[in-house]
Amino acid sequence: MIDLSMIEWGDIAFATWETLVMTGVSLLFTVLLGLPLGILLFVTASGQLLEQPGVYRVLSFVVNVLRSVPFLILLIVMIPVTVLLIGTSLGVEGAIPPLVVGTSPLFARLVENVLREVDRGVIEACQAMGVPTHRIIFGALLPEAMPGLIAATTVTAITLMSYAAMSGVIGGGGLGDLAIRFGYQRFQTEVMVITVALLVMLVQFIQHAGDRLVLYFTRK
Amino acid sequence: MIRIEQLSKTFRVDGREVSALNDINLEIGKGEVFGIIGRSGAGKSTLLRSLNLLERPTAGRVLIDGEDITGFDRSRLYALRQRVGMIFQHFNLLNAKTVAGNIDWPLKSTGSLSAAQRAARVAELLALVGLAEHAHKYPAQLSGGQKQRVGIARALANRPQLLLCDEATSALDPETTQSILRLLLDINRQFDLTIVLITHEMQVIRTLCDRVAVIDGGRIVESGRVADVFLHPQHPVTRGMVAQSDPLTAAMLDPGHAFAKDKLRGTLVRLTYLGDITYQPILSHIAAATPARFTILQGEVSSIKDLPFGQLLLELEGSDDDIRKVFAELDRFEIHHEVLQ
Ligand SMILES: Nc1ncnc2c1ncn2[C@@H]1O[C@H](COP(=O)(O)OP(=O)(O)OP(=O)(O)O)[C@@H](O)[C@H]1O
Ligand SMILES: [Mg+2]
Repeated sequence: MIDLSMIEWGDIAFATWETLVMTGVSLLFTVLLGLPLGILLFVTASGQLLEQPGVYRVLSFVVNVLRSVPFLILLIVMIPVTVLLIGTSLGVEGAIPPLVVGTSPLFARLVENVLREVDRGVIEACQAMGVPTHRIIFGALLPEAMPGLIAATTVTAITLMSYAAMSGVIGGGGLGDLAIRFGYQRFQTEVMVITVALLVMLVQFIQHAGDRLVLYFTRK
Repeated sequence: MIRIEQLSKTFRVDGREVSALNDINLEIGKGEVFGIIGRSGAGKSTLLRSLNLLERPTAGRVLIDGEDITGFDRSRLYALRQRVGMIFQHFNLLNAKTVAGNIDWPLKSTGSLSAAQRAARVAELLALVGLAEHAHKYPAQLSGGQKQRVGIARALANRPQLLLCDEATSALDPETTQSILRLLLDINRQFDLTIVLITHEMQVIRTLCDRVAVIDGGRIVESGRVADVFLHPQHPVTRGMVAQSDPLTAAMLDPGHAFAKDKLRGTLVRLTYLGDITYQPILSHIAAATPARFTILQGEVSSIKDLPFGQLLLELEGSDDDIRKVFAELDRFEIHHEVLQ
């Protein structure tokens, strides 16, 4: 049934590369956006370091709204914004803005939860020493939370990879695009099987690498 | 050094007011080791945490070196906290930093020392608490006692004048507790450091403290020199805690409970004495001076911190006149005596 002689291996290699670029670049921006947002969510919550219930409610609401939009809808809604931002909504570049917007709120929530797991007593000890709040956040809180933050990044990276494949539907590049154009529209089952196998391998690899890093940073 | 005036604290829980501290007044001297003891929920932690404003009092003042800290702005509060060390029941060390990193952390994040000066200070502190060879370990690799030593070194890093201890030995076994208490006493003497500690263990107070306050239901119900409070507890809570920690004293405070009533014929007298008199042959003096006979029912000679003390429960037999002579002799030696029945 499956005939591998028909496959354009060059196309597949290129699509894999595109998927990695989309995931990597989006992950970078997701962390740049989501980490501060997550920290802000954590410190402004009631009973925390910079308690600001009003600010917390607003941020929390925005995050919830963004998280409740299904990614496929977000992809379509974002088209005009993406065109405005980078000139096109197609290809690898076109996929990045919706990916970042789609996963940053998720990452921010994960970061907030991870920070909440840090022992309160440790933060309190820092306060008792007279350490200014910003130093507590960057010098104590984040290093203490490092294993959890890495685990959250791993989860986010895997989510990004599957979203990146989904963006193939609206003309994003990468393995998803390949699967749709050849596997779905031209009935080349072989291409579909190979793309899925590749995605499975990539996810396995990311998870494994993430777990290794978590272990490396765990001091417990 | 510290003066607490009419301090009160109320927490608001689910719209209801919960009073944790009620009109607390205390004075603690420079270089003193002051203990606060009470049952769970009595308000000990809240009181201790008011001394560095981890807890903001609802009313009243806290004066440290004559200054009311409750009015401090943020920068003065940071400066104050750098002068006041604190150690905790669960140590609260940074797991992501090594032992040396933990001790360096307050220096690095608050001080103005150069990296070389900090390294020297960290080495000095490691030596002080006896952890020099563990400098590069992480807290997870240490025993409870070692973790508390790191906690102590970290608290001393900025050379505080005051050390607050929140149940510092409650998570440790008895032997480790003793070694940590000895370390605290050493530090108190070596640096003339004032220590305020809270505990629910009488033994900790006996080993370490000069004075003690007993707190119950957010109020101070009794306070004074440890020996006085320990030997003559007045409040039921204090009596309860003494009885718990020391069955011998408990039996002497309540002999009716501890001895068969029908076997006791004479007058029951409890003697207590402190200091050098402990080494005097008082009983032979009494025996020589009066014809009264006595039986020792219970007795203890020990020390509270460095102060030797003795307490004896005697059954005296003789005429009223004989017994009066015994009391006169006891007065001559300044031995406290009370008739029990
Ligand atoms: N943050 C808080 N919010 C509400 N109530 C509090 C808070 N902290 C303490 N309380 C209440 O204040 C009272 C005194 O608590 P505190 O922690 O000072 O007691 P404690 O003597 O230290 O007890 P323990 O020996 O159990 O540590 C308790 O009734 C407690 O429930
Ligand atoms: Mg407590």
